[in-house]
Amino acid sequence: MVERIKDSQLSASINQKLVESGERERLKELLRSRLIECGWRDKLRSHCKEVIKQKGLENVTVDDLVAEITPTGRALVPDEVKRDMLLRIRTFLAANT
Amino acid sequence: MCSCPHLKDFKKADGLKVFRKVHAHFVCCGSREARKRKASLCYCHECGTYSGRLHSCLFCVYFGCYTGNRHIHHHAQSTGHSLALDLTHGVVYCFVCRDHVYDLDLEKIGVEQAVRAWKTLGNGHIKYIPWEPSKAELQLLKENKKRIKLEKNSFIGLRGLTNLGNTCFMNCIVQALTHTPLLRDYFLSDQHVCAGDKEQCIVCEVASVFQEFYSGQKAPHTPFKLLHLVWTHARHLAGYEQQDAHEFFIAALDVLHQYCKDDAPNKDVLVPNNPNRCNCIIDRIFTGGLQSDVICQACKCVSTTIDPFWDISLDLGNIDHSNGRSSSGASAASTPDPTPPEENGQPVPEISSHHEESFVPKSLVECLRRFTRPERLGSEAKIKCSQCQTYQESTKQLTMKKLPIVVCFHFKRFEHSKKSKKISTYIPFPQQLDMAPFMASRLNGNGDHSQSSLCCDSNYTLFAVVNHSGTLEVGHYTSFIRQQQEWFKCDDAWITKATLDDVLQSEGYLLFYHKKVLEYE
Ligand SMILES: [Zn+2]
Ligand SMILES: [Zn+2]
Ligand SMILES: [Zn+2]
Ligand SMILES: [Zn+2]
Ligand SMILES: [Zn+2]
Ligand SMILES: [Zn+2]
Repeated sequence: MVERIKDSQLSASINQKLVESGERERLKELLRSRLIECGWRDKLRSHCKEVIKQKGLENVTVDDLVAEITPTGRALVPDEVKRDMLLRIRTFLAANT
Repeated sequence: MCSCPHLKDFKKADGLKVFRKVHAHFVCCGSREARKRKASLCYCHECGTYSGRLHSCLFCVYFGCYTGNRHIHHHAQSTGHSLALDLTHGVVYCFVCRDHVYDLDLEKIGVEQAVRAWKTLGNGHIKYIPWEPSKAELQLLKENKKRIKLEKNSFIGLRGLTNLGNTCFMNCIVQALTHTPLLRDYFLSDQHVCAGDKEQCIVCEVASVFQEFYSGQKAPHTPFKLLHLVWTHARHLAGYEQQDAHEFFIAALDVLHQYCKDDAPNKDVLVPNNPNRCNCIIDRIFTGGLQSDVICQACKCVSTTIDPFWDISLDLGNIDHSNGRSSSGASAASTPDPTPPEENGQPVPEISSHHEESFVPKSLVECLRRFTRPERLGSEAKIKCSQCQTYQESTKQLTMKKLPIVVCFHFKRFEHSKKSKKISTYIPFPQQLDMAPFMASRLNGNGDHSQSSLCCDSNYTLFAVVNHSGTLEVGHYTSFIRQQQEWFKCDDAWITKATLDDVLQSEGYLLFYHKKVLEYE
């Protein structure tokens, strides 16, 4: 339990640092372009279309759609992109602690 | 546009003001103080989490988590406050309609503030804003129903080029340029704003060549207008004789740079990040910085200059040089606008070649290693040292200071020294290339590895190769280009499928590598 609390405190303070410095926005923008470049967005978009087609436009809410595509979305992020983001966050933290 | 009655009511009650405020304070912060506030205040008022896609109620500025404990949903239910702003993405959600609400006024405010916030972060390039069709564009889309999509196995983007009489030197370069991803994005997204006479503008003509390439048409394109413009802009290339593809490539970049300097984004605000001091699309893609360190052998002081380059010319050694004189390993790369010699010193004299053991490179990497190794300038090439104030023997080393997005390597296959001839030695080159070993920070920085810590930034992938077959007098140019993951051979009007092996086994004259991962600047 103590571990848990420490973890959440840690992630909160990391989050604060990233927001304060503006690094979070930069990383977000970078991630966005990476995901577009590697075709992630196109793949996810066509997946969304399929889900909507299957269920019918009237029967899907945004939340349904998000719940439905989140696992696929996560799985489709290339390892390279994940590794790069992690490395960047680490580098940022190393330089800012 | 807006179909949510709840937002309509909200806007009537002066809601845009509230939206603007909450958005400026907690979504896109325009100042360091605002970011600080956001960092410390953005947590769920119920459970305290910082994550969980926080939303802010637009009626009472209560913050609650959207996923997980769903406190913002509970809040909406218990208070009847139906609209909340997503603090991560800046979109508004209506709890009654159970949908995101899209509204032109809200979006306009959002984009404005996002752009402003992005600028205060001191980021070089412009924030990405998704394209929204204008009324005129919507009409065009309605009138033209056919859509062209680039799919895995489509051949769109591949088109032969008619040979107009020894113009393969131009065709092979046009093929390489039309398959340079960022250049394609620039031209197909219509980013050139013509400042002059469209009929005479070579950038406009290249834009139309891109349109021709990606139109889906199959018959070879005849680039006579392009050729005509090249002739008028680069007189030394005029005439129907065979020209050097490398020379054409550099001339083409130079003319394009001249004509598109003015449509560089934010040219008054942004300090160009490349050594050519220009933000045009050509310089953003092709310009790198070459560092030259000259070390005085007497006092060991280093004088450093950085020059822009558009390509790296590599020596192929001296195996066939029966007269014994070797060529210099580090040859200057072509530079777009030669920078004036160093302010405090004399103009650097031309470095003459000197004797050394015979050398035949066995690979591209070896050529690069040689290109970046320290070189003794010898006693016949003394340089005036700014510290000793006398002419001294020195060593010189070239390294990469800034890597361009696209790097072009030029194998010096044509010798024009005493007897003109072509060197046809096979020099293997890789599909993936890491430039880290040739960086200034790696080679002469003692310990400063902070820059090279992100190793992936120096990784390149091959995407085009120009080949020359035949002799100096009678020759022909072809190119290999990569589209999606497939390779194709372009021989003027003919395009044929090729394998990676075909490409890697080819002789290679110009090699085009693209950065694997694009840096944000
Ligand atoms: Zn509503
Ligand atoms: Zn909560
Ligand atoms: Zn509320
Ligand atoms: Zn123009
Ligand atoms: Zn330029
Ligand atoms: Zn000296």
